Amino acid sequence: MKRMGWISMLAIALVCMATSASVAGEVIKVGLPLPLTGIHAKFGEAIRNAYLLGLEEITAAGGVTKGAFKGSKIELLIEDTTSKPEVARSAVEKLITRDKVPMIVGEYSSSNVFAVAAVADKFQIPYLSQTGAADNITQQGWKWVFRVNQPASEYAGGLQDFLLKVVKPKSMAILFENTLFGTSLSKAVQEWTKEVGIEVTNFEPYEAGAIDFKPMLLKVKAKNPDVMFMVSYLMDAMLLMRQSKELDINPKIFAGGAAGFTMPEFIEGARGAAELVYSATLWAPDVKYKGAREFYDKYYKKYGVHPEYHSTEGYAAAYVLKDVLERTKSLKNEDLREALAATDMLTPFGPVKFEAYKKFINQNRLPTLVVQIQKGKLVTVWPKEFAAADYVYPVPKWAERK
Amino acid sequence: MAARGGKGWRWGGAVLGVAVLLGFPIVVSDVYLQHLAIFFLLWVTLGTSWNLLGGYAGQISFGHAAFFGMGAYTSSLLFAKLGFPPWPGMLLGGVAGILLALPMGHICFRLRGPFFALSMLALSEFLRLVTLNWRDLTEGAVGILLPPFFISKLPYYYIALALAAATMLATWFLVDSKVGFYLLAIREDQDAAEALGIDTTWYKLVALMVSAFFSAMAGSYYANYMAYIDPPIVFSIVDISIAMILVAVLGGMGTLWGPVVGALVIVTLSEAFRAYFAAAHLIVYGVLIIVVIVFMPEGIVGSLAARGPRWLRPRVATDAPGASQG
Repeated sequence: MKRMGWISMLAIALVCMATSASVAGEVIKVGLPLPLTGIHAKFGEAIRNAYLLGLEEITAAGGVTKGAFKGSKIELLIEDTTSKPEVARSAVEKLITRDKVPMIVGEYSSSNVFAVAAVADKFQIPYLSQTGAADNITQQGWKWVFRVNQPASEYAGGLQDFLLKVVKPKSMAILFENTLFGTSLSKAVQEWTKEVGIEVTNFEPYEAGAIDFKPMLLKVKAKNPDVMFMVSYLMDAMLLMRQSKELDINPKIFAGGAAGFTMPEFIEGARGAAELVYSATLWAPDVKYKGAREFYDKYYKKYGVHPEYHSTEGYAAAYVLKDVLERTKSLKNEDLREALAATDMLTPFGPVKFEAYKKFINQNRLPTLVVQIQKGKLVTVWPKEFAAADYVYPVPKWAERK
Repeated sequence: MAARGGKGWRWGGAVLGVAVLLGFPIVVSDVYLQHLAIFFLLWVTLGTSWNLLGGYAGQISFGHAAFFGMGAYTSSLLFAKLGFPPWPGMLLGGVAGILLALPMGHICFRLRGPFFALSMLALSEFLRLVTLNWRDLTEGAVGILLPPFFISKLPYYYIALALAAATMLATWFLVDSKVGFYLLAIREDQDAAEALGIDTTWYKLVALMVSAFFSAMAGSYYANYMAYIDPPIVFSIVDISIAMILVAVLGGMGTLWGPVVGALVIVTLSEAFRAYFAAAHLIVYGVLIIVVIVFMPEGIVGSLAARGPRWLRPRVATDAPGASQG
């Protein structure tokens, strides 16, 4: 009896080994490091939810449905990186050497993306980053690192185009949160103003978490620039607009640099001062990309939160991952890298195709959008081909508004 | 100097310990464990340098991230701007830490009360703001991205080991010397120490300079190893300054082995909890710290020294604060 038990166990083991050797029906484990606790927890959670929503749909539709891994399921190994680069490094070294993942996706802040990217590149494991904004993530010559979202210096590309074609400003004030993203974007816009001959009247960084902007805003008011450009997070965006209204500052337009200005809470929190404010953004639910609106509705239905571009990036990256696994010949790093590099697909976040241009490599080149808050709603107004409605310009002064 | 009879055992243990430490990365080729070992050694360095000042000399600092960040920025800027090699740069980082410590100690150690602790807090915040806003020099919030220097972790491991060993030897040497007794005298009763003719300001400054030197070297090391720094990371109050205090307090302030045990607990347990408890890891970790602080108020090593079996008592047991009452 005992011997029978052994033999049957051996048989089962052999069958298991046989099935794992054949590719169909396999589970492909991919590493997903994200900051689920610590200062970036809110974003980490939004991105995780988006990945999981995408993965749920992919699994429901049969997992990987084409290619060498047809019928395989994707599993995401989520690691909390506690918003610290050294922990991101621990997590990714664990994923690569312990869990032996063939590929890594995820992370949020640029400092953590640096940590993950350096390790992935060293181990020659493909890494698809969907949110880290610092320009140099794809400028380091890291052959194994790919990026879905635009680099920080390009976040305002659409807005710059809009300014040149519609507003034609002569002067501009630039106010920004003194963070990596705020500094990179403001510097890029400042350099652009030199190229196109716009005078920068104020170039003012402020500490993250500041609440009294009036001294800074009074300096802006004294110069009366045509454009007031702000790179801010949520609370500061609300306060900047409220205090600008109180001080009756009237540039031709107020323009935000993505982040806080495109969050649903901003419109409510600015208490009417948000109306007709423009902002650069990477994505909006009404943008004319296939599946954008559907993603917005599905996400809202499942989580009860309005998704913004961070979530869309995660959702899109999940589909890029599926697409890569459908095209790769094997799970060997070279094959995966080749499949990633050959990506050419449409996602709700926009088309994804990795290119080398300027100093960038493996960088998805996407237009950025301009949204305007019209009657309390975020509306895509520029570029024309993706616009959902006309822009409102000129913007009336505060005193002339009803 | 308890347990004189166990001298042979001690030597045997020491040889074994050295062999384990030297052989670890060769035997254990798992880079993930090597990474954790490196961070363990880094925190031994940081905890020990804080402990020299806070534990032995009784001068509590809430802002040792000032030295850590100073070291990190000194070597990184020297490399990024002048191409100065980063490993010798680590020494210069340490020297920069001393240069920062000199005026601080010179001014603050003349005062009593919480001035030193608060001035250190202010200093680290001040440096964070300077590096954040002096964009031409430091790239501000964009930070400095360095090329990784070694592919293998072995050199990183041995440099971290050397740094931790140097910090512990310096502490051991200082504490065992006349200076060590002066520091203890200052900690226990500064007036009595003055009355005995000890130049309290000077000896506190000596402890601060040694502490700053090794903290800053650790900062340079961090920059070289992680290959990216920005002001909020290296001047972090919670992740650097408070964590240094935690390592020393948890392990046992004023004991040589306290910070080693503290670093072991902080680095390995926090990582183990993170990897196995998912979202609940901070709760489990927090509970553990509360338990240790409530039931072992003198830290793990300090409490063992006071109450534990004789053979467990560390050599410097009599130096532990409160050990005499236990």
